[in-house]
Amino acid sequence: MKRSLSAEWLKLRHSRIGLVLAALPAVSVLIGCANFALNRDVLTNGWYSLWTQVSLFYGEFFLPILIAIVCAYLCRLEHLNGNWNLVLSAPVPVAGIFLAKWITAALLILIAQALFMALYGAAGLLLGLPGPFPAETAGWALRGWCAGLTVGALQLGLSLRIRSFAVPVGFALAAVLAGLGLYVAKLGLFFPHSLLTIGMRVLSQEPPDPRQETLFWTMNAVYALLFAAWSVSGLKVRDAGTA
Amino acid sequence: MVVETRNLTKKNRVRELDLVVREGEIYGFLGPNGAGKTTTLKMLLGLVKPSAGTIRIFGESLGKRRSAILRQIGALIESPSYYGHLTGLENLRVVQRLRGVPDRNVEEALRIVRLEKHRDKKAEAYSLGMKQRLGIAMALVAFPRLLILDEPTNGLDPAGMEEIRELIRTLPGRYGMTVLLSSHLLGEIEQIATSVGIINEGRMVFQGSLDSLRARSRGEIRIATGDNDAAQSLLLEHGYRPVAAGGRLVFGPLADREVAAINRLLVSRDIPVIRIEERRRSLEDMFLDLTGRERSLQCGS
Repeated sequence: MKRSLSAEWLKLRHSRIGLVLAALPAVSVLIGCANFALNRDVLTNGWYSLWTQVSLFYGEFFLPILIAIVCAYLCRLEHLNGNWNLVLSAPVPVAGIFLAKWITAALLILIAQALFMALYGAAGLLLGLPGPFPAETAGWALRGWCAGLTVGALQLGLSLRIRSFAVPVGFALAAVLAGLGLYVAKLGLFFPHSLLTIGMRVLSQEPPDPRQETLFWTMNAVYALLFAAWSVSGLKVRDAGTA
Repeated sequence: MVVETRNLTKKNRVRELDLVVREGEIYGFLGPNGAGKTTTLKMLLGLVKPSAGTIRIFGESLGKRRSAILRQIGALIESPSYYGHLTGLENLRVVQRLRGVPDRNVEEALRIVRLEKHRDKKAEAYSLGMKQRLGIAMALVAFPRLLILDEPTNGLDPAGMEEIRELIRTLPGRYGMTVLLSSHLLGEIEQIATSVGIINEGRMVFQGSLDSLRARSRGEIRIATGDNDAAQSLLLEHGYRPVAAGGRLVFGPLADREVAAINRLLVSRDIPVIRIEERRRSLEDMFLDLTGRERSLQCGS
């Protein structure tokens, strides 16, 4: 497992995935800030109002796309040049190969979350928002990261089955829209992509009741386990289409 | 035994294959394109699940001891695997990390395939020959007991092919490796292998040493006479089965005493015997007979 993880990190050298990790949070914060600046007369709750704007674009749209791109990229490395042959004939358990990719994706998403928080803080200061930086937003970003792990397991399962880079990313885009609809219909806790919205408190900053909070973590854990098992099974039956 | 399969089957591709590779040999796995070579090799690596049959490698069941067995195998399957955005050295380091082998193995593998000078160049900028050598280095980096190479000279020019063959020939002696090499080129297998398995339409049609294959190339006897029609009638009456072809009477393999008897019989009936010759079938003919002449087996190198 440690060996697979170390190999995964080495594969990221010279790659341009860092650009995506930097660009998507930056674009989200820029759009959110512009929206905030243009509507300051109605957005009067300081840091929290800014959060509603930046996290709306990021948590609702750019983060799931970023997760999809990261997962598609990690699998694309293996789809090219028959590298699955190399990876799957290595003396490491198949589950370890998936876990290494999942952990790598998790760390990359965590970097994006950290950058997003740093940009949010910097934007708040630049906009001259009153009061201290709201520490609980860091917790919201972490909750969003946890929901991101669930979405990441799903996206990895798709990306390792589908050679195309664009199809899993397109799927994420469709799932984002579906997730928004289900959130509005109060069914968000049962859809993986809506868990991102709920985790990051994008549409509601009110603290959830304990029952909802329990359900949030339970659904995350259940989906994460299901998608991880589905992904591992995808690696085990890769021979279905081989020549 | 290094590799032993029993009734190894993959639906529509490989049928009841009994493959036996012994320690220290270079086993040439020969067959036309699409015969089932790559599928068989992938089954040996656990990349393809067999529909039926068993695989034992180093005396152990692949299904039960996958990781322990794979630790002792290096492989290049289909085409060389590589990460184009990484340098040659980094590609080898990926394999080194995956396999948990020492740093010095990377340097040694680079040296063996003569890529030291290009170690810091990105793999996507390598020529086809260099990619092939990198693929072999990646298979070698753990210095495995069993090296599986699937068409390792594919796409190389003659000089590149000879270089790779020379390298493969030295591996059992220098590093104690057993090599299982697939190819659709008869000439290649003839030059490198000590044992050969011929697969056609998923079935093993021959397995054994190259010498035993050559021994099977029994000759045919051709006799030219002054009156082939009369000679053929006479010989048919006496229970022989000659076929007239190209101005000769052609027989299957005959013992020396039978040839002498035919000669005596013809002379006794005043049919002049002009020439008796033995024509041995070439190895190429043997392969083509075994694999079907209409298939795409190439006998050249």
